[in-house]
Amino acid sequence: MKQAFENRELITLECQGLPICGTVHHARTSTVDGDKGKRLGIVFLNSLTLPRAATGDSAVYWSDALAASGYPVFRVDLPGLGDSDGNLPAEILDYINSGGFASAAAALTAEIVRRFELSGVILAGHCAGSVSALFAVPQCSECRGVILLDPYFHLPRAIRPKVRQWLSEWVLRSATGRIVSNIYDQLRKIRLSLGGERLPENANSALIRIWSRIAPTGLPILFLKAPSRKAVGTKPRQGEFDYFRYVLKAAGRKHRVTVEVVEGTDHSFANRHGRDVVRQHMEMWLNKHFPTGQQVSRGDDKETRQSGAYAAEVGVGVGSSA
Amino acid sequence: MSPQIETPSSSPSLMEHAGYLAAPGAHLYTVLHRVADPVCRVLLVGPFASERQNSYLPWVRWARYLAARNVEVLRYDYRGVGESGGLFEEATFSDWRDDVEFLAQWLANRTPSVPLVLHGLEIGALFAADSFERGVADALLLWSPPDNANQALRSTLQRWVGLQQLLTATDERKTASDYIRQQEQGIPVEVEGYQWTTKHWQESFNWALPSNVLPGGQHRKSARPVQIVKLPKQAAPLVKGGFVGYDEVKDFEWLFAGNADWIETEVLNCRKTQCDEASI
Repeated sequence: MKQAFENRELITLECQGLPICGTVHHARTSTVDGDKGKRLGIVFLNSLTLPRAATGDSAVYWSDALAASGYPVFRVDLPGLGDSDGNLPAEILDYINSGGFASAAAALTAEIVRRFELSGVILAGHCAGSVSALFAVPQCSECRGVILLDPYFHLPRAIRPKVRQWLSEWVLRSATGRIVSNIYDQLRKIRLSLGGERLPENANSALIRIWSRIAPTGLPILFLKAPSRKAVGTKPRQGEFDYFRYVLKAAGRKHRVTVEVVEGTDHSFANRHGRDVVRQHMEMWLNKHFPTGQQVSRGDDKETRQSGAYAAEVGVGVGSSA
Repeated sequence: MSPQIETPSSSPSLMEHAGYLAAPGAHLYTVLHRVADPVCRVLLVGPFASERQNSYLPWVRWARYLAARNVEVLRYDYRGVGESGGLFEEATFSDWRDDVEFLAQWLANRTPSVPLVLHGLEIGALFAADSFERGVADALLLWSPPDNANQALRSTLQRWVGLQQLLTATDERKTASDYIRQQEQGIPVEVEGYQWTTKHWQESFNWALPSNVLPGGQHRKSARPVQIVKLPKQAAPLVKGGFVGYDEVKDFEWLFAGNADWIETEVLNCRKTQCDEASI
């Protein structure tokens, strides 16, 4: 068995006494971070229970692309996830939403920085992975920026009651259901307006506190938003609390939060259009905040799922920098 | 403190080794669950393409469960999927079957005297069964094999279309039938990040369970045992039926124990039969 092919290498890290599995995509160029003559790495964290390749192997695609842009990229399976050892709590969503993986993510990041002699890292995560990334930031002195793919700031219910699931399906399939759904939205809107700017009961207060600590410091944050049902751009569905507006306000005047809405995809960003637009946003954002200073030379390996072939087919989605 | 789902991998005697094996045309990501003196070896032919992400945790736990019972296990990612190299859209069903045989050979070569079991899940069951039919391995365990690969692709497509409809305005919604027509017209369909080509779609009709492994088939009467298990819905996410991207970690002892028993029992019988035949 080989440990590497092309620019990919399998690595084993140690975290809290457990062996942790990961894949590093070595940078294809000799670019360096201007500060200390060392590279800046990017670390992708698992989204919920997904293995480190993510939906449709989108994380593999982004890692190959960013490695081609000069950044070493690390995809790790947090303890108990993917190929890594460790036990998981049965209520994994609650665990993540309370920052359960924060210390593991910070410890792994520290080891990656040490072993690969990096100047620092960008923490990246999708959905629940972005929640873990945000929770990890205060514990991670090596963190230079954060990439959040469709993060959420509320506490979703782990398992929806069957009646609720049935109702959701009925609403989608029936004309009457759609009318009922719209009336429901209006009622929620009225209730919401009565509450003013107050956070809803199911807000993830701990996560919002973390955000309110780190965003005002000017830490570069890329916030990528996927389209969702009945929502337009960054605006939520009628009757839903506007977390995005709330957290941006909490970020203060000195924030460096970049917001992009990626249309033509879904929450996973896994379709070709979605993952390519995400790649473009990541590259532009990295180039703006952490320029490598050298011309990017893309690899053209047949075996890696490098997608230069269709990069030209798509354009950047609706973009709006906050 | 919420209850934890324990994995047997914490035992220091168990060793997992991840690496790439260079199959013709692609590097395959493999994880070998090594044991010191295995009673048998099992090649896990796992969930296919977009099913991988949902079933990964219980699939890894199954490998560890077997390893804890002194069964050496090799699991892997299909070419073009997960950690493996290669392009999904360029791979064929024959490539994926050939990879099973390549890995089975690699595993068997480690200690040829130790029996080898092929274990496939859903479409993986079809690849495992086809390889078994071609003489690979000493026993075959299949979990929820579809009648043919197309049936499995259709059910994946239907689930994906259901999710897409959540985001699409009523008048713009496409049905599964629309996508199937698209496939039949030669236009690829991208399902959860994997591009299904027309070739995949057409080939999938030809990949069915060999009649020999069905009840009453030839292998059932021979020394090479076959077990087919239809997994119930409670086995989600190993089978479709659960919430996609499920967020509860389940205990699969009810499923694993009986199947591990079957492997051990049949392997012992298999060994005994081989010894008896040798002594004659």
